Amino acid sequence: MELLIQSIVNGFIQSGFYALAAVGLVLIFGVMGVVNFAHGELVMVGAYTVWLLHAQYGVPFLPTILIAILLVTAIGALMEQFLFRPMRGDPLGGLICSIGVLFILQVVATVVGGDGPSKQVPPPYEGTLVLWDFLRVPYQRLFAIGVAIAALGLLWYFLTRTRLGWALRAVSQDREAASLQGINSNRISMIAICVGAAMAGLAGALMAPLTNINPHMGHNVIITAFIVTIVGGVGSLSGAVIASVLYALFHTFVTTYFNGTVATISGLLIMVLVLIIRPTGIMGHRVSE
Amino acid sequence: MVSKLKRSDRRQFLKRAATGAGAVTTASLFPHVAFSANKTLTVGMNIPMTGDYAPWGLPGLYGCEIIANNINAAGGIEIGGETYDINVASYDHGYDTEKAIQGFKKLALEDEAKMVMMLGGSTVAACLPWAMRRKVLTTTLLPSDITPDSEYLIATCESHPLYNVTGVEWMAKTFPDVKTAAIVTNNDAEYGLQSAATYKAAFEVAGIEVVDTNLHGFDVTDFAPIVSSILAKNPDCVCMATSFYVTPIMEQLFHQGYQGKIISCTLDYYQEIIAKTSEEFVNGTIYQFPDFDDPALTEEGVTFPDPAGFDAAFRKDHPNDWSAVAWEYPAILLNWIENAKAAGSVETEDVMAAMKGNQQQFVFGGGNWWGSQLWGLDNALIGRWPVVVIENGRARIQEYGDVAAWLAANKDVLVKHMQELGLRTV
Amino acid sequence: MNRSALTHFAGIVIVLVILAVLPHFLRYHHQDFLIFLVINILVVSSYRLVTLTGEWSLIHAVMMGVGAYGSAILSKQFNVSFWLSMPLAGVVAGSVAALLCYPLFRMTQFYFLIGSFAAGEAIRLSWIHFIKPFGGTSGVSGIPSPELGNIDFLEPIPYFYLVLIIVTLCLFLLYRVEKSRVGLTLHAVHWKAPLAESVGVNTWNYRSLAFITGSVFVGIAGALKVHYIGTVTPKQFDIGFMVFILIWVIVGGYRTFYGAIIGAIVLSILDEAFREFDELRPAIYGAILVFAILFLPAGLESLPQRLREKFGRSGAKEAG
Repeated sequence: MELLIQSIVNGFIQSGFYALAAVGLVLIFGVMGVVNFAHGELVMVGAYTVWLLHAQYGVPFLPTILIAILLVTAIGALMEQFLFRPMRGDPLGGLICSIGVLFILQVVATVVGGDGPSKQVPPPYEGTLVLWDFLRVPYQRLFAIGVAIAALGLLWYFLTRTRLGWALRAVSQDREAASLQGINSNRISMIAICVGAAMAGLAGALMAPLTNINPHMGHNVIITAFIVTIVGGVGSLSGAVIASVLYALFHTFVTTYFNGTVATISGLLIMVLVLIIRPTGIMGHRVSE
Repeated sequence: MVSKLKRSDRRQFLKRAATGAGAVTTASLFPHVAFSANKTLTVGMNIPMTGDYAPWGLPGLYGCEIIANNINAAGGIEIGGETYDINVASYDHGYDTEKAIQGFKKLALEDEAKMVMMLGGSTVAACLPWAMRRKVLTTTLLPSDITPDSEYLIATCESHPLYNVTGVEWMAKTFPDVKTAAIVTNNDAEYGLQSAATYKAAFEVAGIEVVDTNLHGFDVTDFAPIVSSILAKNPDCVCMATSFYVTPIMEQLFHQGYQGKIISCTLDYYQEIIAKTSEEFVNGTIYQFPDFDDPALTEEGVTFPDPAGFDAAFRKDHPNDWSAVAWEYPAILLNWIENAKAAGSVETEDVMAAMKGNQQQFVFGGGNWWGSQLWGLDNALIGRWPVVVIENGRARIQEYGDVAAWLAANKDVLVKHMQELGLRTV
Repeated sequence: MNRSALTHFAGIVIVLVILAVLPHFLRYHHQDFLIFLVINILVVSSYRLVTLTGEWSLIHAVMMGVGAYGSAILSKQFNVSFWLSMPLAGVVAGSVAALLCYPLFRMTQFYFLIGSFAAGEAIRLSWIHFIKPFGGTSGVSGIPSPELGNIDFLEPIPYFYLVLIIVTLCLFLLYRVEKSRVGLTLHAVHWKAPLAESVGVNTWNYRSLAFITGSVFVGIAGALKVHYIGTVTPKQFDIGFMVFILIWVIVGGYRTFYGAIIGAIVLSILDEAFREFDELRPAIYGAILVFAILFLPAGLESLPQRLREKFGRSGAKEAG
């Protein structure tokens, strides 16, 4: 019973990270029609920023999170301006470009951080919250999930309560109809990738004190983000968030009670199954082809 | 405090990693070699210097360069009436089997290395057929690479994972209250499983019950669920069996309020673990790899020359790069040189004959050939091995355990557990 | 027409002759490099067959692994001779591909890309998880090398000739498939799928056919590789290698048979030339990839044509 509750808490906290990483991928795909393979590397850059500034040069944690977000957003904007925009209408071209960026970012991380063992960031918030004598949640994790929920809430507000957000959703549903309405799709794409990249940067920054930081950490992130995206429904943000929670709980439970590799294999198989049975995912709508 | 890599150090680590791609010879680093009248004797290192396995390759190269530099500065070594300077040629295979083969051939044929040192595992397996037929003396840190046909593959320093029994033996003796243990490690057959089987055997012999064995994949990013699940079994002792994830596991143990004993094979970069948890938490952790400024290394029987001087030289040039292998490759190199001297030759067959024919001086004392019972050939050198405990934030040797004696008494238990985990035994 | 066929033939003969004598002028470890290069040529060529129908899969590297593991396990645990296990590797890879057709080809485009990636990762993680018979992370080692009379296939030069003969044969077959009626239909499935369907072409069948055939050949390539290395590990066939295949094909030019091969050769040689900058090499690759897709979308094979156009002697000649 105690293990059960601890596992639910573990899984829930992990889901915040999954959701932050996945919503960016969903947003970029929905609005721009591009699979951003370098999305995991954007998360990695966020984590490296915190490692470099906070752990190496002693800059306080909160400002480094902001810097990480800004830096990753800038990378996203550059990718849109110089790669995705010229490739508009060629989804494969966009994908290939993002793979190129993936390699470049990995090497930049290696150059900045050197090779060798994974980097560690000492947790800025020490200590552990203990409830009912058995449930333990480190403050650092509480902080991460709190910020993640706040960021997702902000995103939700932006998409549903602002004109810009409305335009963004309009483009992701039907690009042509949106442009007939006078929506500038280039501008909307730029906003989409900036928001998506900012979320990735935030995810990386929040995870930095909780994980092993190395140039290749994006690989696992992108696999998870793909699974969550597909299961949630391509193009559906609420689907991605729900799928993040479900998948994180699923993965945590299988890992706790069975085995981590089996958890990932089953996750991939569920994704293939969803692709076969209901390619639109649990919350998705059919994307116009 | 977290280790602060200075910019210049990082550059250096990096530069080394970059140039390590081709064969780097120390000749270019130590100019006097080039001007020396001595002949050059090249030894090869076919190791990972980049990627995930770099911490178990690169520090060894730094160590060997210090040894070679010392020998050359002292005028070289005399073997069979000829005076040689030592040249360390290296190749970075990044733990990739294809590159390992190419690197091995480059070292053996183009650099004319007389002996090639490797880390072990699939990269050694890939080089073995060619190396054995060409009779290139090859060394590994993983004696489980030895096969009945690998006549010229030897493990003369690290006998992973056999020495892990000494830590368990010491713990059982010192903390008789420890009755149950949980093992956690990565599920690879080269490091994790070999080690898990050995710990299981050691626990069985020590009368400690293994209540959980968590073998996870390399794809794990979040260790919270894994640690929760092992702590749910309430073990008196958590055992990390050559885990690649010691830091995140220790971190989770800390956060989840674990207060029992911790035993591990390695505890590389333990200062970083202390920074992420607390010194109080890490104190008392039992493992197997000493720092070389340890006073116990001056004890009789230890054959490594001037450990403290070596430690100082290493930390001066590479303050943050010390890992378990920093002294192991040098120890292998020194053992080979001793045997080449005794043989009066640098050729594989002669050196091998000297190794098998003469009493060997193991780095921590003792020295018996072992291995046929498990892997098919007596090509692993077994000796005394230190049990190390963190005291006041520093690694300190508690005693030297007797691996050979344990094996003599309990070999069958070990074989049983190896087979249970599906590992190769003869 | 006749003349062009003749120049083609002459060109191929010249390339083969150069390849046949080349290893004797190379240093030892470069001979190994050449062996892997020739195997990779088969990998990209078989991948191109899969992409003919317009579907970009991310499972090709894993299918190579399926063949490699198949041959390794057959020869090591069942003592099957290389000469049988190597073609069987193709059969194994082809059979697994056939099983995967049903789920995968219910998807197209983006969904197919992600679906094939997921299926590939699931297979690769299974090699890691099921230590019996796949050996986990450390894979299977001690895979025997081929035996034939007293030829020593542990040495690079004999193995190189073996690889050269088998790969040339496979390339010839692949080329014939592409130029056959089936191959032309595959093109049609790509460029005019609705039209092809309206004249009664079952696009599902043709997509599957291309996928299975490509997998058979890449399975053979996998066997060729691991019987030389002697070890097979899951890491050899990860997404990193898949990305390299993609890059070779795209930078070389996926629209012609030769483009992909040119890509593999040019980029592999560049890669070897950049060994000095080891850790920077992926970035060099990445930059080449981005530039190629932005400025040379038809690949390297279109470069001579582009240059000709640029320098004014554009001529009415058509390439290919």
